Amino acid sequence: MPDVDYFQLFRWSLGTVVTIYATVITLQSLWGWYVWLAGSDKYMSLLRRYVILQGLRVRIRGFWGDVAISGLLCVAFLLMWRLHGLIEAGLL
Amino acid sequence: MTMERPEPRKQLPGPPEGGRGHSSPSSSESPRRLAELPRDELDYLAEEYGLDCTRFKGAEELVAALHQRRQLIAQMDREAMLDVVKWGRRPIPANATKEQIAREIPRARSMRFAGLSARGLIVLAMLRDVPVTGKETIPDLVKKLKKQEGIFTKLNRKRRAFIGSLVSNLIGEQPADANYQFLPPQPESGRSGTGGAAGATIKQDIEESGLFGGIAGRIRKSADQYLNQKLDEIEARIDRKLDEIDRRLTEWRDKEIANRIRILKITLWASVIVAALALVYSYVKVYVVGDAGGAPTPTIRKIDR
Repeated sequence: MPDVDYFQLFRWSLGTVVTIYATVITLQSLWGWYVWLAGSDKYMSLLRRYVILQGLRVRIRGFWGDVAISGLLCVAFLLMWRLHGLIEAGLL
Repeated sequence: MTMERPEPRKQLPGPPEGGRGHSSPSSSESPRRLAELPRDELDYLAEEYGLDCTRFKGAEELVAALHQRRQLIAQMDREAMLDVVKWGRRPIPANATKEQIAREIPRARSMRFAGLSARGLIVLAMLRDVPVTGKETIPDLVKKLKKQEGIFTKLNRKRRAFIGSLVSNLIGEQPADANYQFLPPQPESGRSGTGGAAGATIKQDIEESGLFGGIAGRIRKSADQYLNQKLDEIEARIDRKLDEIDRRLTEWRDKEIANRIRILKITLWASVIVAALALVYSYVKVYVVGDAGGAPTPTIRKIDR
């Protein structure tokens, strides 16, 4: 009977599946936008410039709360990761 | 994103004094014609007249406010209005109508009232929705106008003034000409110069071109004038529609970004929660159960001094 740590298995399989899924979806979306906006049509060129303009006009002030929370969550995640490494190594 | 179905074209309401040769609608039919306009057109008109369209919930209230504002403008002294325009250095021709002057005044947002006459201050206060009785002194009017500005607007203005002075010092601004100059007077016959000289009578037209030629020229001139007026209206309407589309796209973009960030935040919360669970699990496994999976079981070291 193999000694399987089910929590570790769950954690690693979840992390792997979700990471691969998110990467594929993101790349697909980026590729779709690139193909759509890369057209040489004059209207497409106009649209491309307009999309760029819209991007440049984005102001972070409207989303600063969510952005700050996301940044803090990232920091918390990295700290936990580091702590986890210390526990696994028995250094805590 | 949903696109708005194009509205059927409607005649824009003419100004009370017939700006640009519009036929002047009577005051009784004016609200009716205003009421036929879509909300975005009403909002645009309200902004032009210096009204805050967000204060009016329903279209009826806005129409009433617009009508009142136009009546107020019709009662104003033109010279006093010109004082405001000169003080605000707004570009208008010397023969501009009261309607045109009144539409320029809300664009003068300065709060430095030095150089503005008392009658100009009264006009400015009325167009900025400051209650005036007409008996106030200049300091009273200035005080009322400043009080009406609001703390955040004032702070924003001060901030812009500070940045302006910084930039001005940085690039070395040349002092502007102190004397106000009007734009060249607008021709009475619109943009077109065909069909005889501007201001020529039909008698002179006929004298120059004969009976049929003169009448034909006069008709052509009227038709050109009408067409120019209509083209101006269509152009203005298209511009406003494009602005509206741009505004809606901006709103859609902001909503979309906010949604994406929210999804990212939820994902991060889930990751942090799973990480915390894993941390607790690892801690229990290593320090409580003592199963380090190959790692040495930590021992408590006591340091004696």
